Amino acid sequence: MDLFLQQVANGLIIGSTYAVVALGFALAFTVLRVINFAHPEVFMVGMFAGLVAGALYPAGGFLFAILMGALAAGVVGFLIERTVIKPLRGRDVLSTLIGTLGVAIMLQNGMAIIAGPDPVAYPTLLPRKMVDIGPVVLTMRQLTNFGVCILLLGFVSFYVRATKLGRATRAIAERPDVAAAFGINVGLVCTVTIVIASMMGGVAAVSVGTLYGSAWAFVGLLYGLKAFTCMLVAGNRYFEGVMVVGLGIGIIEALVTGYISSSLKDAVAFFVLIGVLYFRPNGLFGSYSQ
Amino acid sequence: MTAPLLRIENLAVSYGAVPAVNGVSLEINAGELRVILGANGAGKTTIIKTIMGLLAPKSGGIVFEGQHNLLALKTHKIHELGIAWVPEGRQLWNTLSVLDNLRLGGWCVEDKTLVEKRINEMFERFPRLGERRDQVSGSLSGGEQQMVAIARALVSGPKLILMDEPSLGLAPLVVRDVFTLAREINQMGIAVLMVEQNARQALKVASWAYLLETGHIVESGPAQEVAGKDSVREVFLGGSY
Repeated sequence: MDLFLQQVANGLIIGSTYAVVALGFALAFTVLRVINFAHPEVFMVGMFAGLVAGALYPAGGFLFAILMGALAAGVVGFLIERTVIKPLRGRDVLSTLIGTLGVAIMLQNGMAIIAGPDPVAYPTLLPRKMVDIGPVVLTMRQLTNFGVCILLLGFVSFYVRATKLGRATRAIAERPDVAAAFGINVGLVCTVTIVIASMMGGVAAVSVGTLYGSAWAFVGLLYGLKAFTCMLVAGNRYFEGVMVVGLGIGIIEALVTGYISSSLKDAVAFFVLIGVLYFRPNGLFGSYSQ
Repeated sequence: MTAPLLRIENLAVSYGAVPAVNGVSLEINAGELRVILGANGAGKTTIIKTIMGLLAPKSGGIVFEGQHNLLALKTHKIHELGIAWVPEGRQLWNTLSVLDNLRLGGWCVEDKTLVEKRINEMFERFPRLGERRDQVSGSLSGGEQQMVAIARALVSGPKLILMDEPSLGLAPLVVRDVFTLAREINQMGIAVLMVEQNARQALKVASWAYLLETGHIVESGPAQEVAGKDSVREVFLGGSY
C-alpha cells in the first residue's frame, strides 16, 4: 500500500507538468483552432531563461527565476503567434502544424547550438529537503513543482470560468463568428491566450528544471508528444478535462514504473491513451465538434 | 431627409464560384421592422452575414447611419456601431450559462452597471430565463434558447437587430411569441431586419417586405401589398393571407 501511495504521489507530480503543457496545447487548439507544436519548445525556452536568471542573480531565488522564465516564454510565444500562427490561422490545421513544427525545430537546434545538446546543470533554487507526508516521502522540489502546476491549473480554471476575458475565450472556442458579432476582438483574445499559455509553460518549465536539476535543449520532445496526446484524449470541451487526463497519465506512468518496469511506462501510457481514443474518438470529456 | 439607418446597394456575394446574392439593394429606416422573405437557399442568411462582416461580398456597398461603410470594418467593430445579431438556429454559447451568454451580449457596453441593469430587465421580461440564469444554455428548450438569443442581442442596446429566421424549429405557440416579441422590440424604437420563411407571421408584424428568390429581390413594398402579390400568396401563404 505504501508503494502504491508513493507512486500515486510521484505520478501526480509528473502528471501535473503534463497537464500544464497539455493545457497550453488545448488553449491554442480550442480557441485558435491551431496545433501549436512550438509550445513545448516555448516551455524549453522558459526553462533556460530560468537557468540564466538563477545563475546571474542567485539572490533572486526561485521566484525571480520563475518570473524570468514566464517573461521569456511569453515573449517567444507572442512572437510565434504574430509571425507564424496569425498569418496561417483560418487555413487548414496542417498549415499551422507544419509552421509551428518548423519553429520548434529551429528553437531546439538553436538552443542546442547555444547550450549544447546535452543536459545543462540547473542552479540550486530550492533546498534538497525531504518531506514526510504519512507513508509518502517527497522532496521539497517535488512538492513545489506540484504546487506550482496545481496553482497554474487553478488559475486557468478560474480565468476561463470567472473572468470576462476567460468567458470571451470560451465563447470564441465554441462559436468564434458569434463572438466577433458581439464585439469580441477575436484576434486580440487569441494573442492573449497564446501568451498566457506560453507564460504558464515558462513557469512550469523553471519548476521542472529545478526539480530535475537540469535543462535540456530537447526537453520539449519529452513532454510535447505526451501532452499533445493528453489534449486529444481529453477532448476540447472542458479545459479541466485536460488537467484530469494529464494527472491520470502521470499516475499510470508512476504505477507502471513502480510495479512493472520504468522502460514500459511510455508504452503503457500511450496504450491507454490510444485505447481511450478508440472508444471515445471525441475525447473523454467531449469536443465542441460533437 | 434623413439617410436610412442601413442601406445595401447592389450587393453581390458568392461562395467560391457559386453566386448566392446578386445585385441586392435594400434599406431600413430607424424604428422600422422590415422582413426579407425567401425559401431555403434564397440568400437570406448570406445577406445577414455580409452585413455583420462575416462574409466578404464581390461587389456592392453597405452603409450604416449614412456614414459608416460596413465593408471596411471588422465584425467586432460593426457590433460597436449598434448592430446586434440573432443568428439562425440561436447559436448560443451552449457550455456557458444563461447569465454568461447575456453578459457577453453586453461585451461592448462600457458601463457595466448598465449591462447588469439590462440583464435584470431581461430576466423580468423573461421570468423563465431568470429561473435558469445559472443553467447551461445548451440544456434549455428551443423556445427558451431563442429568448436567450434575443435577450443577448438586446443587452447590447442596439439600434438595429438582425434576426435570422427566429421561428426556425420552434413550436407554433412559441413562434407566435417570437413574432410578438419582435414587434415589441420594434415598438421600443429598435429597428428590426428580419429574414424569414414564415411569411404569414412575418408579414403581420413588418411594415415593409422584400421577396428574395435565388439571390435577387423580386418584390419589394409595404408588407400588406407584398402579401397580396401572387408570387408570395402561392408560395408562402397557401393561396390566402
